[in-house]
Amino acid sequence: MTVKPDVRQAVDAAFRNEWGRVVATLIHRTGDWDLAEECAQEAFAEALRRWPSDGVPHRPGAWLTTVARNRAIDRLRRSERGLQLHEQIGREAMLDDITGGSTPVARAREIEDDRLRLLFTCCHPALSLECRVALTLRSVAGLSTAEIARAFLVPEATMAKRLTRSKAKITAAGIPFRVPPAHVLPERIDGVLAVLYLTFNEGYSATSGAELIRTRLCDEAIRLARALHELMADEPEVTGALALMLLHHSRRHARVGPDGELVTLEEQDRDRWDCAEIEEGQGLVEEALHESRVGPYQLQAAIAACHAGAAAIHDTDWAEIAGLYALLEDQCPSPVVRLNRAVAVAMGGDIDAGLAMVEALTSDPRLERYYLLEATRADLLRRSGALGRAQAAYARAIPLAPTDVERRFLERRLAEVRATGADESGPRPS
Amino acid sequence: MRYLLTIVADGMPEPEKLAVLQRECPRWVHEMDGRGVRLLGRELDPPEATTTVRVRHGETLVTDGPFAETKEFMAGLDIIECANLDDAIEVAASHPVSWYTAIEVRPFAGDLHLGEAAAAFARGDACGEPFLLVTWMGGTPATPVHDQAVADEGDGWRRDLDRRGLHVLGDALGRPDTATTVRVRDGSTLLADGPFVQGEDFIASIDVVRCQDRQEAVELAASHPVARHHAIEVRPFCNE
Repeated sequence: MTVKPDVRQAVDAAFRNEWGRVVATLIHRTGDWDLAEECAQEAFAEALRRWPSDGVPHRPGAWLTTVARNRAIDRLRRSERGLQLHEQIGREAMLDDITGGSTPVARAREIEDDRLRLLFTCCHPALSLECRVALTLRSVAGLSTAEIARAFLVPEATMAKRLTRSKAKITAAGIPFRVPPAHVLPERIDGVLAVLYLTFNEGYSATSGAELIRTRLCDEAIRLARALHELMADEPEVTGALALMLLHHSRRHARVGPDGELVTLEEQDRDRWDCAEIEEGQGLVEEALHESRVGPYQLQAAIAACHAGAAAIHDTDWAEIAGLYALLEDQCPSPVVRLNRAVAVAMGGDIDAGLAMVEALTSDPRLERYYLLEATRADLLRRSGALGRAQAAYARAIPLAPTDVERRFLERRLAEVRATGADESGPRPS
Repeated sequence: MRYLLTIVADGMPEPEKLAVLQRECPRWVHEMDGRGVRLLGRELDPPEATTTVRVRHGETLVTDGPFAETKEFMAGLDIIECANLDDAIEVAASHPVSWYTAIEVRPFAGDLHLGEAAAAFARGDACGEPFLLVTWMGGTPATPVHDQAVADEGDGWRRDLDRRGLHVLGDALGRPDTATTVRVRDGSTLLADGPFVQGEDFIASIDVVRCQDRQEAVELAASHPVARHHAIEVRPFCNE
């Protein structure tokens, strides 16, 4: 039987919106991660079978949760896992509770809380960062093991092992299924945001590889950040992180040219920026800054908002951006932040001051193999007219470039500078 | 849940650190005992005092020194009872050793039983001399083994020693990837996923036995099923 496109769409939409909720609810009630995932999987398969004839239910989430819960009860009854009878009855009672007992509003709140618990548990700092990312994509976002493996360019068996190991640790080591208490909440929120932002960047930065799965990573990171923002609207860093992702994402169509080449911010066709995302991002930045608890994500989002708000590169408020980078450097001192600050200073008109900041960074061992240091130096030298030194810097940057796209971009620049330099090789009027 | 805290050291601390440790460790013990979190704990003699025991082709092979020649080593242990890993991490992070080196937090695989012998050991008045037996597994075993089978045999070995009144406490630990290593630097708690010893070999269980002397402890170690495939360290406790 072929599934009608609109039903297929309804199932896909339900999958995106409800997977994490169904899994979270079942984990909370049974403590069994594998059981939760298997039963959620079966509930979605059941939807594909029944929705074409029965119609899409009024509340797809509730329908899916009920089916998954019934499957879980069946499995527990048939269980050969050697569960004690009282454990079994306890779990069944917990599962029964999903659909009965409290008011619809209280139930909806409980389901949202479960989803938040699931996210914090997947992002627990006692798991390695790669495990946190994988588990979040699997359990909260519902990506398959194969998809996650493809996104991170590892064999599927490796990813499956990583997921099994993560779930085993959560159970065996007693990682609690909860939103952490207030005294550790800020650092744990940072931990969740780090996972989401890493996921976003993994999808956004790489311009080669499996295109579809990378788009999915960006979409899922934004979707989860949006969910977190809905549930923790008074946490300005969450708002800032969502804004930052949206503002970067708004430029996705303009940053890669027709042949896959990298297009710099300066050369991007700003008509191809996504206005709706920019507007939403800018609104969120204002909302976050209103809380007067500034943090790194908010500052980076404010910088991205400055760029997004400029109709042309010449309209960019570089002084504001340099100021924001200075604040960011105060909060999290890093040579990369300083490098970006140097660019803003140079672009604001003081090329010499910017160049001096870049030159000072060349002795920092942390940037020893960081291609953007030499690339930035080359660019500023090019702008200042020191073409010979610019060529040398491009030549140093090219072998350090991490992807073909970035390497081709630098080679193109080098060729341009050589051509200009050749034109001006004669005696120059002073 | 019951967790093993492995107190990690990397040599004799510098005088100023030693002064802090000597002041702060008793404070930590006092506080955790008071809260009912710490069930027991003891310091070990330095790793040079370790004897490593293997049994190959029915013959007991005894070597001086630890099994793993690592820079960091187990300098002591505490067993704590916490509701979950978050609480256990907080307890570890408040231990002064985590400020300089590290503390590994690992759950026991089963319900660690602590009876009267363990209580006496905790008070420091166990009859006989206590030794810690640390079983190492993983890496390349002498013969192909099934870890679960060895673990089950280990339970039998424990019951036997218990009957003979020689077993003080001990159990299998959670697999190495259930461990979390806690360090505190500049006031921040840093967590690493996994045990403090990174590598193919890992600590699979710990037991405390009481013996007449080291020779008897070595014999008990040799009777442990893991000795046939891997290795067992026999470590004396520090006299307090």
